Amino acid sequence: MSSWSAAAPAISAAFLASGVEVVEAFTIVLAAATLGGWRRAALGAAAGLVLLAGGIAVLGPLLDRVPIDLLQLVIGILLLLFGMTWLRKASLRAAGVIPLHDEDAVFAAEVAQLEAAARRRRTRFDWVAGMMAFKGVVLEGLEVAFIVIAVGAGRGLLVPASLGALAACALVLVVGAIVHRPLSRVPENTLKFGVGVMLSAFGVFWTGEGLGIAWPGQDFALLAFAALFLGAGFSGSLIARKPSMEIAQ
Amino acid sequence: MTLLKEIGTELVAMFLGDARLSLTVLSVVAGAAALIRWGGVDPLAAGGLLLVGCLVVLIESVRRSPRPER
Repeated sequence: MSSWSAAAPAISAAFLASGVEVVEAFTIVLAAATLGGWRRAALGAAAGLVLLAGGIAVLGPLLDRVPIDLLQLVIGILLLLFGMTWLRKASLRAAGVIPLHDEDAVFAAEVAQLEAAARRRRTRFDWVAGMMAFKGVVLEGLEVAFIVIAVGAGRGLLVPASLGALAACALVLVVGAIVHRPLSRVPENTLKFGVGVMLSAFGVFWTGEGLGIAWPGQDFALLAFAALFLGAGFSGSLIARKPSMEIAQ
Repeated sequence: MTLLKEIGTELVAMFLGDARLSLTVLSVVAGAAALIRWGGVDPLAAGGLLLVGCLVVLIESVRRSPRPER
């Protein structure tokens, strides 16, 4: 059985990262449901989930056939690329260099896009809405699937990581059903900053293990890596903020 | 077909959203691997270089990002 020290980072990374993605998918499905009705939007979202689950069910078992060192190396590198891209963007958003992600604005843009698509194709809202919900769930779900596989597959923690992701889905759906509007008050950039830190730390850890590096402290090395990436993210953000402040003065 | 194209675009954007950042990270990983494989460097020392390299790449990538005009 996996120790808590190994499972906790995987569960929390999967929970937080999936939460961010599910909030984005929820905004798209909500926009689709607002114009096309809940039935079509729910059908589109369900079809997207079925496609994702089918893909994972087919591809998941193949991971067992990949040698563990190679799996750790490939997943580690992909995590580094993915996590550092998130962390870079979150640092730039924190510095005010690029605008914060605004779920209300995304919702308005999705509604406008849906109206334009329905007009262009001279078709009913419900079909376009269903397709929009389907695509939203598939595209955002791809990232959730990757994150779950990436943080879970290297150490046989796929089930705990999946549970973390499912908990995030359930939380977003419950809150979304209650408030019935885009979840714009979720501190998305803070979450993305934290997730970028965790995924980057996992990336260095798995890449190193794949290269045959025995990290001191084993799983606890993840905490040190996370602290260092957090510091680097903050430093980058402070440096990025400086020139614009000087210009303002 | 459009959906497959969008999925492909999404996957590329996930890992190669910033081509320069991605290439630099891949270079750091390749450098650490080469040091272990052919340089005879202690794996832990190469791991230290991997970690420090990634941190430096991140800070540098944020620092050199274009600022919006005011």
